[in-house]
Amino acid sequence: MAEVSEITGGETNLAAWLLGIQTIKIQPYHLPPLGPHDVKVRIKALGICGSDVHHFKTMRCANFIVKKPMVLGHECAGIIEEVGSQVKSLQVGDRVALEPGVSCQRCSLCRDGRYNLCREMKFSGSPPNNGSLANKVVHPANLCFKLPDNVSLEEGAMCEPLSVGIHACRRAEIGPDTNVLIIGAGPIGLVTLLAARAFGAPRIVIVDVDDCRLSMAKELGADEIVQVSTNIKDVGEEVVKIQNAMGSRIDVSFDCVGFNKTMSTALSATGVGGKVCLIGLARTELTVPLTSAAVREIDVVGIFRYRNTWPLCIELLSTGKIDVKPLITHRFQFSQKDIEDAFQTSAGGGNAIKVMFNL
Amino acid sequence: MGKGGQSHEENMAAWLVGINTLKIQPFKLPPLGPHDVKVRMKAVGICGSDVHFLKTLRLADFVVKEPMVIGHECAGIIEEVGSEVKNLVPGDRVALEPGISCWRCNLCKEGRYNLCDEMKFFATPPVHGSLARQVVHPADLCFKLPDNLSLEEGAMCEPLSVAVHACRRADIGPETNVLIMGAGPIGLVTILAARAFGAPRIVIVDVDEHRLSVAKDLGADGVVKVSTNMQDIPEEVEKICELMGAAVHVSFDCAGFNKTMSTALTATRAGGRVCLVGLGHNEMTVPLTPAAAREVDIIGIFRYKNTWPLCIELLRSGKIDVKPLITHRFGFSQEEVEEAFETSARGGNAIKLPFFPNYYCYDYVLKSVLVGEADPRIQNHRCSAWGYQPVGGGGARRMGRFAVQERASETVALTGPPMETDSLVFGVEEPVPGQLPPPYESIIA
Repeated sequence: MAEVSEITGGETNLAAWLLGIQTIKIQPYHLPPLGPHDVKVRIKALGICGSDVHHFKTMRCANFIVKKPMVLGHECAGIIEEVGSQVKSLQVGDRVALEPGVSCQRCSLCRDGRYNLCREMKFSGSPPNNGSLANKVVHPANLCFKLPDNVSLEEGAMCEPLSVGIHACRRAEIGPDTNVLIIGAGPIGLVTLLAARAFGAPRIVIVDVDDCRLSMAKELGADEIVQVSTNIKDVGEEVVKIQNAMGSRIDVSFDCVGFNKTMSTALSATGVGGKVCLIGLARTELTVPLTSAAVREIDVVGIFRYRNTWPLCIELLSTGKIDVKPLITHRFQFSQKDIEDAFQTSAGGGNAIKVMFNL
Repeated sequence: MGKGGQSHEENMAAWLVGINTLKIQPFKLPPLGPHDVKVRMKAVGICGSDVHFLKTLRLADFVVKEPMVIGHECAGIIEEVGSEVKNLVPGDRVALEPGISCWRCNLCKEGRYNLCDEMKFFATPPVHGSLARQVVHPADLCFKLPDNLSLEEGAMCEPLSVAVHACRRADIGPETNVLIMGAGPIGLVTILAARAFGAPRIVIVDVDEHRLSVAKDLGADGVVKVSTNMQDIPEEVEKICELMGAAVHVSFDCAGFNKTMSTALTATRAGGRVCLVGLGHNEMTVPLTPAAAREVDIIGIFRYKNTWPLCIELLRSGKIDVKPLITHRFGFSQEEVEEAFETSARGGNAIKLPFFPNYYCYDYVLKSVLVGEADPRIQNHRCSAWGYQPVGGGGARRMGRFAVQERASETVALTGPPMETDSLVFGVEEPVPGQLPPPYESIIA
């Protein structure tokens, strides 16, 4: 899909630019020069995230506002085409998955290892940083992770959403003792299901309003599924159903949605001394029964993106402990029409879990 | 039977027999089990929960359905020991940990016995408390006091334990700057505990200036006076962070309201923790998502576990001094017990044990006042209502006083002289300048 430039004889790099609400155009994307610790990657697979769709529909996501045209996309993998002068661990032709966020590595949070919270974070596809739905990108070599032969480039791109599930399972301390409740069977709920199982969770119950997503969850290995409503009055009844479905104490709940109802359900259903992990970042203010949770010493654990997860994701995919392939439900090419269709499909939800571009 | 002397006096206790009604009456003790001790009570502190039971006969889901002995913060002298008790003898001075857990369930076996479903806790219905001449208690929940600790300090181990447990769960140490919301008794013991755990900087906030000055005397590095108005949060967060001079790593909400929790969640730095200690309203509306997106975790606190030995050590070595918190003392007689609870309920400069704020301000229509959702504090308080007219410059003129008479579920009826007022301030005692809630912060005449 790359146009060959007559003047330079080199290929013009093209990318999918967000120009306005619901307006994406494939246009040239001039790459920055390759620094000594950078690599140039030809992008081969890229997945669409809910945040990409949100930017597409509203030109903003929480406090991040798109003020000028921006390249979309951040869940990606590709092939190394060029390496900077100081790069020793990678070479041309290597197949790599990319971790999107470039942190400052100087502040106290970075030095503590909590670089996902860095205030100077430059995250692909989060304004004002350009994303990676492009022919090629330039990226720090240490954020490119080599894929073993038995892991495809699409699976490499899936490392990004999977990382959210992995990071959440680490923070929530999932293990062979922790029965898990997952609220929301969208892409994040589903990768959390896969991650929790890989971490050894003995029993996993997942809930959603959509029975089609629930049956995908059952296929992916959930022990029980419960269909719930959007009516907050139903919380009491649903908590009973959920606890019965679990059969024993719920140790950790993951709210992969982030509404009053889902958080209230999580706080009420979780057993004494357990944890509720808030992953879904839907609303700003939530009205929830926080006090009755606090008197049962239920802790609320916050999740923001991930840190140090790619090596583990790749390992879990390579050994087959996790299989993400069923989550890729729709595939598109890198053309103007396909890009528009892809975003509409992803925005439609329902049986579209992960929409993947093949470039 | 047991070892030690048997007393033939009739045991008396302070019984909660009805709303606002305490009576000193006989309290028959259960027989002494092999692992029990009989303790002569010498010092009992009043807690906010005791006052709440007195005023309303309930607290959250616990309802007082029949007469119950009140009180749980206590220390005394062993009078008799059960046949299997080896580590205590009559004459030993001990502080008592109130809650008897089942020791069989999984939570108990994991050490989280404070969360036991079968917990029997002094003065949480239906279990009798310890404001009595003598009680019978398991020996393993009685902790010997060293010679240099008074029995009053022994009784203070109970509220101090809440703070110690919170500091442990919140991982307080030499690197955690601490923010405390609320300078009531729990906020104040939290200052002491946080300092003992090594917290380098402690800032505390409250609406009440007197309490803030006590907090300063107890060693807070900075104090900030805050309002009850949600709109003031951004400004207050700025003041707090400026005063801290560095990041807030851990916040303790010792009040438990939307405003205090929202302030704490906003002021705490990314990756930090907010400990919810104060148990105000059940449902809270707070900016949970932005906090979660900065990985600010919320830690719940319920009472304490395995804290008495540490409290005793911290008091013995002088690392913590709780004596300034004991502001009023009473004897064990009908009159004094009633006065003690009145004092405690009034709050204000009664630090140890104030329960709720003194003044409630409402606009009123005609002669009945809509107090909103059957506020039990108005209903059960022996209180009056003072009428005010605002005057220019932010002050108010007191017009006169009403007596609060009938209390229905949503209204109260007032009687008093005719007067023109547009706001009422409810309270137990007459408001004085500097103690009124905004906007009536000063009285002109």
